[in-house]
Order: sequence, then C-alpha cells, then structure tokens
Amino acid sequence: MQTIQSVDYLAVAPPLMLALTAVGVLVADAFLPARRSPWIGGAALTGVLLALAADLVLAVGVLPQDRPRGTFCVGASCSYSVDRFTLLFQAVLLVAGTVVLLLANGEVRRAGLPAGEFHFLLLTALAGALTIAAGRDLVILVVGLEVVSLPVFALVALRRYDGRSAEAGLTMFLVSVTSTAVMLFGVSLVYGATGSMLLDTISAALRRPGTPHTVAATGVVLVLVGFGFKVSAVPFHFWAPDTYQGAPIAVAAFLSVVSKAAGFAGLVLVLTVGFGSYAGVWGPLVAVLAAASMTVGNLVALRQRAAIRLLAWSSIAQAGYMLAPLGAAAGLVGEPRVLGVLAAATVGYVAIYAVMNLGVFAVLSFVGWIDGLGGGRLDDYRGMARSHPALALALAFCLACLAGLPPGLAGLFAKIVVFRGVLTGGYGWLAVLMAVNTVLGLAYYLAWASRLFAPGPSESTAAFGPVPRHVAIAVGLAVAGTALMSVLPQLVLGVAPTLGG
Amino acid sequence: MDGYLGGYAVVGLVLVAGVLFVTVSFGANRLLRPDRPTAQKLLTYECGVDPVGGGWAQSYVRYYVFTFLYVVFAVDAVFLFPWATVFDAPGFGLATLVEMFVFLGFVAVGILYAWRKGVLSWV
Repeated sequence: MQTIQSVDYLAVAPPLMLALTAVGVLVADAFLPARRSPWIGGAALTGVLLALAADLVLAVGVLPQDRPRGTFCVGASCSYSVDRFTLLFQAVLLVAGTVVLLLANGEVRRAGLPAGEFHFLLLTALAGALTIAAGRDLVILVVGLEVVSLPVFALVALRRYDGRSAEAGLTMFLVSVTSTAVMLFGVSLVYGATGSMLLDTISAALRRPGTPHTVAATGVVLVLVGFGFKVSAVPFHFWAPDTYQGAPIAVAAFLSVVSKAAGFAGLVLVLTVGFGSYAGVWGPLVAVLAAASMTVGNLVALRQRAAIRLLAWSSIAQAGYMLAPLGAAAGLVGEPRVLGVLAAATVGYVAIYAVMNLGVFAVLSFVGWIDGLGGGRLDDYRGMARSHPALALALAFCLACLAGLPPGLAGLFAKIVVFRGVLTGGYGWLAVLMAVNTVLGLAYYLAWASRLFAPGPSESTAAFGPVPRHVAIAVGLAVAGTALMSVLPQLVLGVAPTLGG
Repeated sequence: MDGYLGGYAVVGLVLVAGVLFVTVSFGANRLLRPDRPTAQKLLTYECGVDPVGGGWAQSYVRYYVFTFLYVVFAVDAVFLFPWATVFDAPGFGLATLVEMFVFLGFVAVGILYAWRKGVLSWV
C-alpha cells in the first residue's frame, strides 16, 4: 500500500523558492554583521526573480497544451493546480513583490526597520499569496490566506517608534482574526454538507439533490463574508484606511496590491470552481457588496486630503468594481462558460489594477513621510511636474489608468470588460451605478493629477531631492507593465480558472 | 427531556440553579450583615500588609518569550506523536522520516534565530 503522495516539485517551485529564500534571509540576518544588511534586500530580490523564472518555465510547459499541472491529487481532483489562472496571478504577484522590494529598499534604511525581519516577513507573505493562486482545496486556501495575513500584521506594526503603526497592526490583526473565524465556520459547514475539502468535489456534491442545501448555503455565505474582510469590501472595510496610514509605505503598497490580489484569487476560485452552482445564493450578495464598496469608497475618497488615505478609499472603491462581474452571476447557474467569462472579467481587472496601483505607490514612497503622513498631502504634490517631470508624468499616467481615462487605456479596457460582464448577467442597475461611480472617481483622481501641473511653491517639491535608482526602476516597471496592458490587454483579459463540467 | 435538544434542558436547569444560588446567598448576606465601613476597612487587604503604590504599576513580563518557545514545542509534540506511531508502518517510507525532519529543521531555524537575537539569555 502506497500512502505517500508524490510531489511535483516544479509545480510548487515558485512559492517553495520564496519560502526557502525567506528562511535563508532570516538566518543570514542573524549571522551577518549589521553593516552587511543591504545584501539582505538583494538576496530577497534574487529569490523573487528566481521564483519568476520558475513560473516562466512552468508557463512554457503548461500554456501550449492548456492542461493544468496538478499535484497533491486524490483520484482526479488535485489540491494544488497550475493553470493559466494560476500562472497569471503568480506572475502579477511576483512583479508586484519585486516592485514592493525595490520600494522597501530605501524605506528600510530611512525608517530604521529591521532588514532581516522585514524581508523574511514580506517573502513569507508573498509565498502564501502564490499558494492561494494555485490552491484548489479549501484547506490550502485558508492556510494560504493566513500565511499572507500573519506576517502582514507584523509588517504593518514594524515602525515601532510610532504608536499609530502599532495601532494599525492591532486593528488589522483583530479584524483579520475575526474574519478567519467566520470563514472557518463557513468552511466547516460546507465540509459537513459535502464531505469534501477539494473544490471540484464540493462542486459536484453541491449539484446532487441529497446534499443538505440550507447548511451548505449558510456555509457559502459565511465564507463569502470572510473573504469580504480580506479584500476590504464595504461593510467589512473599516480597517483599511487606518492600517494603510500607519504602515510603512511599501507595506501599504503590499496590502493594497498583493494582499488584495491574493484575496480575490481565493474568492474567484471558491465562488466559481467550488460554489458555482450556488450562484443564486452568493450572486446577489456579491452584487450588494460591489455596489456598496464602490459607492462608499468613492464618496469618502472625494473628501480625503492625505494621499495615502485617498488611496485606501480608492482601493475600497476598486474592490467594488472587481466584485461587480461576480455579482452578476445569479442568473447564470448551470452555464459554466458564462461564469468563466465573468470570473475572467474580475481576474483581468485585478491584474490591471495591481500594476497601475503599484505605479502610484512607487511615487508615494519616493515622496516619503511628510508631517507624519506617508506620501504627504495632495497639496504637497503641487508643481511636481516642474521639479520631477518624469515621475509626475508617471503618476499622472497611473492616476488616469485608475480613473479609466485615456491615455490610461489599461484602466479603460478593464472597466469595459467589467461593464460587459455585468451586462451579460443582466444587472442593468449595477452597470448604471458603476457608470456614476466612474465619474465620481474621475473627480478625485484628476484633482490629484491636475495638482502635479498646477503652479505651486516649487521649492517644496524640489526638496524631495534626486530620484534614487531603485525608485526609478520600480516606477519604470509599474509604468511599463501598465503600458504593456494598454497595448496588449488580451494578455490578462479572458483568463479564468479551469472549471469542471 | 426527549428529542435532539432535550439534553440541553439539563444544562439550562443547572445554569438557572447556579444563578439562583449565587443571588440568594449574596442577597441574604447583604440583608443580614451589619454594614459600618471605615477607611481602614475599605483598604485593599493582602496578607496583612498595607498596599504600596497604585494598582496600575507596570511589570516587565520577561518570561513571555520562554512561554512562546514552550508553546512552539508543545505544538511540535502534537505533530510528533501521531507521526511516531506510523512512520515505520508499511506504506510509509523514507520520505515520511525526512518530511518530519524538514519540519523540525524549520523549528530549529526559529530557535537559532532566537538565540542569535539574544532572546534566550536572561536579563
């Protein structure tokens, strides 16, 4: 009797490499003298690039045949599977990780953060995020979410001399632990009703008439609530602004891009691959979450004067757009192909949002802390176009993308795909609400972008000093990614998880 | 007391009886005893020694790290026990043995880190 599962090491290579690099970095930091700590950042970056290389190797094997590469399988169902969806998410997460590491390079030194611990925690969280994208099993997804969340609490609270940083960490910890408890209760109900943790087996069980459907539906709703906290959808959003404001800027970027993308990867997988036949239960709820998130997020963002808080509320609003296509799924039960189209709209939006938001955060981290505010106030950006023309242009381009306005075509394509998804589901009211919200969004994104070119006390922006090389590379990466998706949006649009039957 | 939830009725009764007992005994005590407080009587009493300082004094919980380490090893043992009963059973091979040592290796890295950061020395 063979009870050992064989492990496909190439399939698990990207998260494995990150995890091993994380441990290596921690040990190296414990033994290296303090003056060598710049090496740590380099080592962490090498780990991320190695993982990216492993992802490319995987892509060469998986993409041409379009057959998922699974491991940890029981029969035909696998707990861990690498398909187009996984590869896209892992690539986006790794690029985001690279940019965050580049941003952290300066901040770790300036803010006096402990280098070894910072990079260890960041790499661990990134490894967890990659695992979520590949998980096809409720246990892997929940454990992955925790591996993302636990290090982030510590990262948020890492500016130890600042009370707000500790408060931010504690807020996030309490909210996240509560949401995990709710989600685990939901998972246990689903497991009790279906007798399986594997998403495709759950999907099959949910379609059988003998399943206790009330119990399963309660479980599905609780799991959805848990994910609502993780992706900071209204009404589970209240932790986000304070946490972003208290955290180091690079960590805020990580929260806003990597954590959110990982949460959405898990949400899409659970809802479409696992609970697809219950779209009638979760669809309307997701639609309400989407509508509330975009409206509340945009309305509150209008009143923000601090850059980081504006981004926090804008990321809540953007989460609303990402949820919208899934919210339109209620009428499409039993049409897996259309469900796939809706999932693909969400996935495309998340991928595009990730790169354009990174560009904004990269400029924020260059501006640094002004009067105890990461990234300063919007008025601090007045006249930046004259002192730092390239950075100001990059910021304006990314803001235009977030608003969905040309020349930011990537953002426009993302919005169009989401609109089409919502209309496919026949949710006219949601589409109208989205249109109104897009206009609201224009107001504050453009108000910020126009300040860059407004005349102002130029000596204040000149005080930001010359642009360090790592910031230039980070901004360049984010802008290049956004520009690439403006030209070739088909790279990220139309990618959905492999749905069974 | 029948049915699925019937068993809980007993729990409910015990709960009610407990609340009643406490209320009655404290209420009777209140009604029967004489009540003449003085400043001396209201002092916090501990082993006959007069209290010194406020109640909000800070104390340094220096042993918490050791508590953490203990918890790590306690959890560790939870994994080790079931493993120890099956690892040489048929069907489990060298891989099972190696896997547990990989896990122990990760825990050991944690100890190594704690030692290098000076956590293990008593201050």
